Formats: sequence, structure tokens, C-alpha cells
Amino acid sequence: MTVWERLRPYSMVAPAIIVFAMFFIYPIFYMMYLSLFDWNFVSPTKTFVGIQNFVDLLSEPDFRQVLSNTTLYTVLTVTLTTGLSLFMAIWLNRSGFFYGLVQGAIFSPHIISLVSISLLWSWLMDPEYGLLNWVIGLFGFGKLEWLSHPSTSLISLVIVAVWKGLGYNTLVFIAGLQSIPQDIYEAASLDRSRPWTTFTRLILPMLSPTIFFLVIINLIGSFQVFETIAIMTQGGPVNSTNTLVYYIYEAGFRFFKIGYASAAGVILLFIVGILTIVYFRLLSSRVHYR
Amino acid sequence: MFKKKIALLTLSAVMTGMLAGCGGGAEKAAGGETAEAAAAKPDKKIVIKYWYAFGDKIEEAKQHMVQTFNESQDKIEVVAEHQGNYDDLHAKVQAAFAAGDAPAVTDLEIASTGVFAHSGMLEDLTSYAEKDKDQLKLDDFIPGLMGNAYVDDKLYGLPFMRSTPIMYKNVTMLKDAGLDPSGPKTWDEFEQYSKVLKEKGKLGMTVPVDIWFYEALVAQSGGTMLSEDGKKATFNDAAGVAPVDFWKRLVNEGLIKMPVGDEAGDTADKDWANQISAFKFASTAGVAQSLEIAKGNGFELETAFMPANKDYGVPTGGCQLVMTSKSSAEEKAAAWEFMKWMTSQENTIYQHKHVGYLPTRTSAVESEELKEHFTQYPQYKVAVDQLKYARPRPMENGYPEVAKIVRDAIQKAIIDPKTTPQQALDEAAAKSDKLLGK
Repeated sequence: MTVWERLRPYSMVAPAIIVFAMFFIYPIFYMMYLSLFDWNFVSPTKTFVGIQNFVDLLSEPDFRQVLSNTTLYTVLTVTLTTGLSLFMAIWLNRSGFFYGLVQGAIFSPHIISLVSISLLWSWLMDPEYGLLNWVIGLFGFGKLEWLSHPSTSLISLVIVAVWKGLGYNTLVFIAGLQSIPQDIYEAASLDRSRPWTTFTRLILPMLSPTIFFLVIINLIGSFQVFETIAIMTQGGPVNSTNTLVYYIYEAGFRFFKIGYASAAGVILLFIVGILTIVYFRLLSSRVHYR
Repeated sequence: MFKKKIALLTLSAVMTGMLAGCGGGAEKAAGGETAEAAAAKPDKKIVIKYWYAFGDKIEEAKQHMVQTFNESQDKIEVVAEHQGNYDDLHAKVQAAFAAGDAPAVTDLEIASTGVFAHSGMLEDLTSYAEKDKDQLKLDDFIPGLMGNAYVDDKLYGLPFMRSTPIMYKNVTMLKDAGLDPSGPKTWDEFEQYSKVLKEKGKLGMTVPVDIWFYEALVAQSGGTMLSEDGKKATFNDAAGVAPVDFWKRLVNEGLIKMPVGDEAGDTADKDWANQISAFKFASTAGVAQSLEIAKGNGFELETAFMPANKDYGVPTGGCQLVMTSKSSAEEKAAAWEFMKWMTSQENTIYQHKHVGYLPTRTSAVESEELKEHFTQYPQYKVAVDQLKYARPRPMENGYPEVAKIVRDAIQKAIIDPKTTPQQALDEAAAKSDKLLGK
């Protein structure tokens, strides 16, 4: 083996590795480093404060609320998106003009920029002048506050996220459904399996790799939620929609506390790292692989 | 088994990377704003960047002045770039500065002058002003606007598009309700007016929970936001609680509406434009636009001082022009020329008439051109007169965060029947003291 032959595979992956190291590995370590300092990103002096940023963070009631907001948002978004899109997929998994049209319609939000969607929904949900309250009013119901009240703001954001994610998830589920071999269905119908049994004992297990994939993807997406919050609520009212990533952004760029923001970033990294491992451990044992 | 483990590791690394990329990466992201299209030109023209906030008439005015400057001489080319609102602008300037790519000149909202100056991001302009004092005439700037220009006795900014909040009145609505259109001049009168308007099925005012308006009402009640040394919050004193008590009472009686949330400011403008509410608080920067709205919707508009509690009082606001500290000497010289141009008597008159921001120079206020303008459109003059009662905004490093804490506290006090204004503000003060004490 010549030297070149030995080096060749490494040189092939080098570009990817270098980019990965520059934009993922290095920032992670730099963030960990910064989390130990009190710094505003521009001043010439960094003050080493040890773990003070973490102590401050964990004793800050706002941060605890941010964590619970993020968790609630993630759980609601992931369950609703996955559940609804599975339902839609089973309904739409047939041919015909109408079904194609519905599928196209619910997929369209996926290709629209999230910023436009946020602006659009801000108008729709406007408590005074919004279309949603007007429609509700037609049915004789009172106005909803939507984004303008702490009790409804987070769920309003969940609605937007579900609406945005539904089409894509449905599409993936339909692909999953269509990859289930026809003969299994035939076997089931020969055994006179009831629809519900077919669903729980056949479709769900055969679909579990797809479900698993979507849950993970949605989980990551929801944890990262930022655009809708930055545009629609800025974390308000009264901190009710402030989530981790927005909190980090706010601390770093609105209040110039880079050390503190980095500490929050490290906590985010930690939580997601744990979640990822747990998910893989837990779900990989139950996922059906063919 | 081994393969699976590797896959697991890689996947978790990628995923945490994706997420962390958003946390840590966001800090880097905004640094990439390079738009030095003209930098490659071979001629000697110095190209500097100028970043500004806001669109519409404000952007028109800024672009127009930059264009005129570029045409007026052939040594300096200013590239003006829009960067969103003040918060966006500040975040981008900070990131660009860290990346070594800051604009030579930028707008800076006055309350943030302290943070930026303390971080070493701003060029000390004292010596520039000294050298050019005959041309610059620093004394000519209205003294009430200079409070936020100095940090630790050094000059860091030149007053540019400066404002105070004023009260906009729909006079037609007042007359229809049988009210004297010259009022209301005090909080009590404001309440009386609102009661009458409510009987007519209208609202006194739609007003967002805005730190700037709150600062004004605290000033009107004779209080301050922070202690003299800036180390302690004082907005939970009686004078700071009074505005929130007042607001909460009026909201509960249905006399005014205080929407919360991101769209609150827009809602307030719309309610006023659609003649649902008779008054609005807004920056004097909106005079030109509001006059157009009033004309379009067929009502008569007048502006007035914000009503007094113990006395009149308002914070000033808006932005000044600052120079960043890391540019080359050549760029700094060019930036200084540009800043002098933008804040000249001629240009301050122009931007005042085009947008409604304050004329920043005494000579401008006293000029024949503006005297005539004020007679024709007295709506523009109110903010100038109100400057007598104006005070600077707090500039402590922690103030942007304090402002957010206070806003949340006021919202909570108004939304939540169980929280009294005093409780909410006490809580906010305790949080703020921790930030300010640092």
C-alpha cells in the first residue's frame, strides 16, 4: 500500500470534516469556554467567573419558566404534529384528484418561509382585526386573545408549528404506508382482522421506523424554535413564550451577556445530548426493522 | 453492534451540533453582513458604511441625506444600509464589531450609548468636536438633547433623529363628544375625557405597555427610574407605582385599552387611525405620517404635551449618530465629515419637516423656515416646546434588560387581577437591583 492509498480516504472526507469542525465542533468548545466568563463580546477584557453563570441561570426563575415553556411547546408540537399527520396520512393514502389536492394543500406551508408564515399568522391572530376572531365571531363566540395573553400565547405558537409541519409529516407517513408490502394487508384481511387491529398490530409496527424518524426530527425542530417567537411574540407577554433558543439570543444580543448566554447554550446542549441518547436507547429497542 | 454504536455516536453528535449551532452559532451568524461592493474600486474614494434603523419616511429621509452627501463631494462614498429596528440594529452592530466588520457610522438609540461606550465600541468624539468647533457649533445643539451624548464626560454621539413622546388628539372626536379640544392637560382631565368618550362608545386611548411611555408617566409623577448613581431601581417608589395604578384602574373601568404582545403598538395606531380611540401616545417622529392618516380618514389632528400628573415630563428618545472605534484613521476622518453633514442645521430642518423628529439645533428652531412651518403646522412644534420638560434616558449597562423586566412587570400587573402594581414593581426592582449593582 502506498502512502497515497492510505491517505486517500481521509483526503476524501477531509472537506466535510473540516467544515464540520469549523462550524460545529469549534463553536461548541468556544461556547463552553465562554460560559465561564463575564463578557459582552466586544469589550477587551473577559472576566473569569467560573461556574457563576450557571449558578445565576439555575437560580433565575425566568430561566426555569423558559425551560418549562420549551418542554411544553416541544411535547405539544411533537405529539400533535405526529398524531395529526398520521391520521391525515391514513386518510389521504389513496388515489384520486381530491386526495391529491388536499395533500398538496397541506404540504404548501412547508415550502413557505417561516418568516412569512409568522407575519401571516400574526395578522390572522390579531385580537382586534384578525381573521380568526372574525370567524369565531360569526359563530357567536367571544374574542380570543391568541398571542396577546399569557394563557393562550404558547398554544397559539404550537398551532402555527403544527400547521407548518403537518404537510411534510403527512407526506413522509404516506411514503411509509406505501412501503408496507401489500401481501401483509392481504394476510390480515384473510385473517379477518378488524380495522383497529390492523392499525395497531400491523400499520403501527410496520410504520415505527417512520414514526421514530419523525418524532426525532420534530423534537429537534421544536427545541430549536426561534423564528416564530422572534417575529410573533418576542418571548412575551410576560415571558410566556420565551423558549431556550430565544432566551439565549436575547441574553446575548439584546442584553450583551455572552457568558450567560453561552452557559444557557451549554445547558441546551446537555439536555439535547441526553434526550438524543435516551431516545436512541429507548426507541431503538422497540423499532421494527425489516 | 459496533457499527450501531458508531452510528449512534455520529447521530447524536450531529444532532447536538445542529442544536448547538443554533445557540452558539447564532452569535456568529450576524457577522457576515459584508456589503463592500464598492471597496474594490481603484479610485481614491473612501467608502464607508452607515447603518440605520427603520423604514418608511424615516428611511426616505436618511437615504435622501446620504445621497445628497455623496453628490456634494467626490472624496467620500457612504453606503447606507437598513438594519431593522433599534434592537436589530444594535445586535448587528455588536456582532459586526466582534467580527471586525462594523460600519464606520451607525444610528444608536440613546439609552444604549452607555453600554456601547463602556464596551469600547465607540470613538470618543471630544477631540474631533474641539478641532472643528467653529464648523460643528456644539453649543447650537439644544441642551436638552445632549444628556445622552456624553458618557463619563466624553462626547460619543451627535443628536440626529431625536424625539419625545407626545399626545396625538383626534379633535373631531372630541368636538363631537362636546369636549374642549384644547385639553386634557392633566391625568384627572384625561380620565374625565375618557369617561365622556366611553359613553359615546369610544375609548380614551389604546396604549401599549411601553417602557418609554412609562418613563414619561414616572417623570410626570415626579419620580425617576433609577437612583442617581444608577445602582438601584427607584421605579417601585410611589411615583413609579402611580402610573401603573392609573393605567390599571382605567383599563378596568374600560376607559382605555392596553393590549399586550408584539402587535400592541400596531393595535394602538390602528385604533387611533380608525377613530376607535381619541388619543394616542407616540413619538413625534410620527407627525408627518399621522397628518396623512388624519387627512385620509377625514378627521382633525392636533398634538399636545403628554398630560401632567404633578408636572409635565417626558424622556427624550430617538437616535444619535456614533462612530465605531475600530475603523482606520482615514475612515474615521470620512465618518466625521459625514456625521457633521448629517447633523447640520440644513439637514436637521429637512428631516424634521419630512418625518417629524425634533430639529436638534437652536438655530434651526429659530430659523425663518421653521417659524413659518410651525405657523402652518403647529402639530410639529409641540415636541420642541415640550423639551423644557424633557430628561435624558437612563444609560446604565444593564438598562436594556431592566426595561424588559419592567415591561413584563407592568403587563403582569395589568393582566393579572391578583397582582397589584406595587407587588409587580417591587419584584421587578429586586431583579433589577441585581443587574444594576454589578
